[in-house]
Amino acid sequence: MSLPPHRVDYSPIVERPPIKWPSGERVALWIAPNVEHYEYMPTKHGPRDPWPRTPYPDVQQYSYRDYGNRVGFWRMLEVLDQYKIRSCVSLNLAVLEHFPEIRDAMVERDWDYMSHGIYNTRYLYAYTEEEEREFYRDNVETLKRQTGKQLKGMLGPAISGTIRTPDLMTEAGLIYHTDWMHDDQPVPINVESGKLVSVPYSIELNDSPLFRVNYEADYFAEICKRQFDQLYKEGAESGRVMCIALHPFLIGQPHRIKYLDEILSYITSHSDIWMTTADDIAEYYIENYYDQAVDHAKQYRV
Amino acid sequence: MPAERRQGMDHAHHDWSPISTRGKLSWPNSARVALCAIVTLEHTEWELPEGSFSADQAGGLGVRPFPDYPRFSHREYGHRVGVFRVLDVLEKLGIDATVAMDSQTAEHYPYLVKHCLDRGCEIIAHGVSGSQMISGNMSVEAETIFIRSSMNIIEKATGKKPRGWSGTDYGESERTPDLLRQAGFDYVCDWVNDEQPYPMRDGLTALPTMLEMDDLFTMSNRRVTIDRFAQSMRDGFDVMYQDGASNGRLMTINLHPWLIGQPFRIGYLEEALGYVMGHEEVWAATGSEIVDWYRDNQPG
Repeated sequence: MSLPPHRVDYSPIVERPPIKWPSGERVALWIAPNVEHYEYMPTKHGPRDPWPRTPYPDVQQYSYRDYGNRVGFWRMLEVLDQYKIRSCVSLNLAVLEHFPEIRDAMVERDWDYMSHGIYNTRYLYAYTEEEEREFYRDNVETLKRQTGKQLKGMLGPAISGTIRTPDLMTEAGLIYHTDWMHDDQPVPINVESGKLVSVPYSIELNDSPLFRVNYEADYFAEICKRQFDQLYKEGAESGRVMCIALHPFLIGQPHRIKYLDEILSYITSHSDIWMTTADDIAEYYIENYYDQAVDHAKQYRV
Repeated sequence: MPAERRQGMDHAHHDWSPISTRGKLSWPNSARVALCAIVTLEHTEWELPEGSFSADQAGGLGVRPFPDYPRFSHREYGHRVGVFRVLDVLEKLGIDATVAMDSQTAEHYPYLVKHCLDRGCEIIAHGVSGSQMISGNMSVEAETIFIRSSMNIIEKATGKKPRGWSGTDYGESERTPDLLRQAGFDYVCDWVNDEQPYPMRDGLTALPTMLEMDDLFTMSNRRVTIDRFAQSMRDGFDVMYQDGASNGRLMTINLHPWLIGQPFRIGYLEEALGYVMGHEEVWAATGSEIVDWYRDNQPG
């Protein structure tokens, strides 16, 4: 029998049939800016307190994040534009309604979007099955209405979820879930019906866990380059995925922005990279490798 | 029991013995430093079992409510991807790994058991799962079952009775060394208080780990950067290599593949261990090899 949550079949990366990206690239690289809104006076629903530092509001933390939308996003955008990056945004969908200038800037660039919930202060943990079903309906409908795009994936709101999440995602037509930090390639996630894959996102190459504590952006640049070097080397044999996760309120700070430039300059100086989005990685993988991966993993079942 | 104010240790597991008063420990071929690389392969459970104790909740984004997809899956990265990078580095440098494996891994990842054995690793016991520590709250019956079942499951999976024990997150009760000895273990890696093996009571040997050379403790708990961790490994080795000329030293490192096996970290490990192995008088060995040598060649 497999171990709980019985969502993923074991498959050692060194034994898998090789993955070839569309033009034989070594690394599929995607940039995931987290474009978020945190509520000023949220309602605590479930086990996690959105603003644990003070009674609500927590103006320091609220406005620190809001700086991302007022200033940081625009500074980050200049650098991304310089390298012609088409991002795949981890998006709190209410941002589209609150801040139309941000919506328009993203739509104009034809970015892709995965849901990151409606607000970053509304977690899924305590949702009933019906509430969560309604949540996906709202996500899909809001994205379609605001951007014209079909929602394909999700990084749970603040990376929260329920045990039902993968099943309800596929029921709503989503094809990928990025809450899984378990691999450098997409991995099939077992669901009740349909097909769902994880696409590697990162909580290591991610400005938020790093800059929340004592790391700084020079270190971020260094580890992004190192990560790229290693995956680029391994990607000669079998394609790898690399994600850089950003938060405009952090990477968009004036003292940090030059390091984003440094990272992108280094990476884009290489050939054989597929600069892409999680939407495209998931579709390509499901089309070409999903069935093979499921079959291959069967031999490792206990 | 609070300590009694008298000379010596305030427990009976081992004697007081300052390194400055010991006779010379010589390693094979007059090596100055014995290097032991423990690779901890532990499965983190989706849900913490009721009544279990867990001190270290590293991984993911810290402690989050259930279900914690990021923490669970971050840890799983080690089994799917990271372990192969770590074992590749060790093999390339000629270091036989000592794999501390929990019983859930041994039972549910037979591929990894075979992979480690094929590479010549020694497999030692490591409790039940990465989410369950031994603690002082455990009853003696529960702890005995915990230790014996970990041992038996490793024996069943590998065909060999494990000789060493490395507790999950160094968890012990005040009875653990005695229970380990009674179960038939030869050595224990939980005590981080020395740079040489030393005798514990009634024939158990301590193979001390260097806590600051544990990637989880240093990089996750203390938030030291990977470049600095690698530098500490080189700096620490330099001093032990010097000290080891007069009295042999033991450098036991503890590596967690989900952490050190990340793409951006692995190169630093290779550089640091490459530096260590670039010195002539270094003996890279498994836990059992070191303990056997120590028992046969104990200084007076």
